[in-house]
Amino acid sequence: MTAFLALLRRDVLVASRGAGPLLLATLTQPVLVVLVFGNILPRLELVAPEFRTVMVPGLMSITMLMAGVQGVLMPLVTDLSGSREVDERILAPISILGVALEKVVAGALHSGLAGVIALPAMMVLMHEVGGVSVNPDWAVLPPLVALCGLLSAAFGLTLGTQVQPRFSGLLFAVVLGPLMLFGCAYYPWTGLHVLGAFQYVFLLNPLVFMSEAMRLAVTPGVPHMPVPLLLAGMLGFTAFFTVLGARSFERKTIL
Amino acid sequence: MSLLVVENLVKTYPGRRRTPPVEAVRGISFAVEAGEFFGLLGPNGAGKSTTIGCLSTLVRPTSGRILVDGIDVSKDPLEAKRRIAVVPQTRNLDRDLSVREVLTFHGRYFGLPAGERESRADRLLAELQIADKADAKPLTLSGGQQQRVMIARALMHDPRIVLLDEPTTGLDPQARRLLWQTLRGLHRGGLTFILTTHYMEEADRLCQRLAVVDHGKILTLDTPAALKKGLPGGQILDLWLHAEAPLRPRLAVLPGVMNVEQVAVEGDGEGVERLRLFVDPADGLLDRVLHEVKGAGADLRHVSLTAPSLEDVYIHLTGKELRD
Repeated sequence: MTAFLALLRRDVLVASRGAGPLLLATLTQPVLVVLVFGNILPRLELVAPEFRTVMVPGLMSITMLMAGVQGVLMPLVTDLSGSREVDERILAPISILGVALEKVVAGALHSGLAGVIALPAMMVLMHEVGGVSVNPDWAVLPPLVALCGLLSAAFGLTLGTQVQPRFSGLLFAVVLGPLMLFGCAYYPWTGLHVLGAFQYVFLLNPLVFMSEAMRLAVTPGVPHMPVPLLLAGMLGFTAFFTVLGARSFERKTIL
Repeated sequence: MSLLVVENLVKTYPGRRRTPPVEAVRGISFAVEAGEFFGLLGPNGAGKSTTIGCLSTLVRPTSGRILVDGIDVSKDPLEAKRRIAVVPQTRNLDRDLSVREVLTFHGRYFGLPAGERESRADRLLAELQIADKADAKPLTLSGGQQQRVMIARALMHDPRIVLLDEPTTGLDPQARRLLWQTLRGLHRGGLTFILTTHYMEEADRLCQRLAVVDHGKILTLDTPAALKKGLPGGQILDLWLHAEAPLRPRLAVLPGVMNVEQVAVEGDGEGVERLRLFVDPADGLLDRVLHEVKGAGADLRHVSLTAPSLEDVYIHLTGKELRD
């Protein structure tokens, strides 16, 4: 446990030193999307006003997914590169699983923090247009943000260990892009019943559960997926990606 | 009991679809006593780094047993890791931390209390002559300096054994000598070292006992002096010549010549062959050899008479020069 906390402390220290660029990287996207879809388009009356309310939790989940994935993936690429910086961690008195879990927790902190910062930032930007009904449930928000963080980071661990570093650019275009578009960020999952059985195909996308979780926590006025399904999806995906990621992390680090 | 015991260590890297399995280590056994400076000498690809990897838990052995201070490395890797420190072949310092933080965080990973972390870091920074670089980022340091930081980092948790994997590869001669000096100083202080190298001079200067390794096996294991003494004859006569007919059998029967080895000449030798004669330098030996060479109509290009070195031991054992 000592080694685990020491590694976490190191990661938090390094992340806090690069906080400026990190903040920029995580907030640029949601802020610009809010500016265009939440401010400009509604003023031009090109977008229904309700869209803004639907969009807020979705953008939070996208921000958290990106932050969580990047928070694990980027350091992992350096770690597993030719210089093998990861060996210093593996040689610490901690199990390989411990090293992998520390990465997930560090990524989850990063992700959760990004989500927590994104919410007020979006509210400020949409302040002038009004009509947005965002009423965070403060009791439900923190645990769900934490769960979203863990899911995103575990997903990052899986991607970072399964995908070769030289393809990590492709990853964002081919994997994360589609996930975001079909992640129920810009529309509620319950509304997808118009698609018939296709509605359930969306459940293969972990981001759907994150978006719905934020919908539940931030905009209780908008319908969201049933809580048992929501929790099962989040916990299931988190466990799945953690196990998968930790396994391939071990394969990559111990020859 | 020895501080480190390696028994029948085997490591076969599994093959992939297009690559066959690689038998990197094929049954290596040795023991290292506390306070010893032990070396693994061999060419690249001999299995040295894989052996070090197995000792450090970074490589999972296919079979065999490794005991560090009585602890089975495979069964209790966490306890084994507390007793081992690794100075890896590639420089892997944490690029996001300062040199000082690299040391203190390493101490943290091993659960050192704050006061001890700081004082030990101070002492090691001074001892390894990197105190003036304490606040610099590792990547701004020279290769030799980074190597010293890696050694300081390794010593932070007070290990029983330090594994040095080709520590001077890529260093300039001055940095190399400085590092040798440092390592000798640390060894005098009571540390146990295991070094891998393909530099003969390094092995000769630092190691008390040496295992010559090739193709995943130990060819011989002894002190450098005993290894050299074990060669037939007392001196080595090295001949580089161009001959039409094979000279080796003619030279081998000369009195005073104990053994003749043909050494592979790297690259295109323009028909030049290299013969190493293990000789007892008695009167008239050189005359006899030169007479024989001339008599065969061979064209002598170069000749040298030397005391045996580790390289000679190596060539004697493997019949070839160290590959690079």
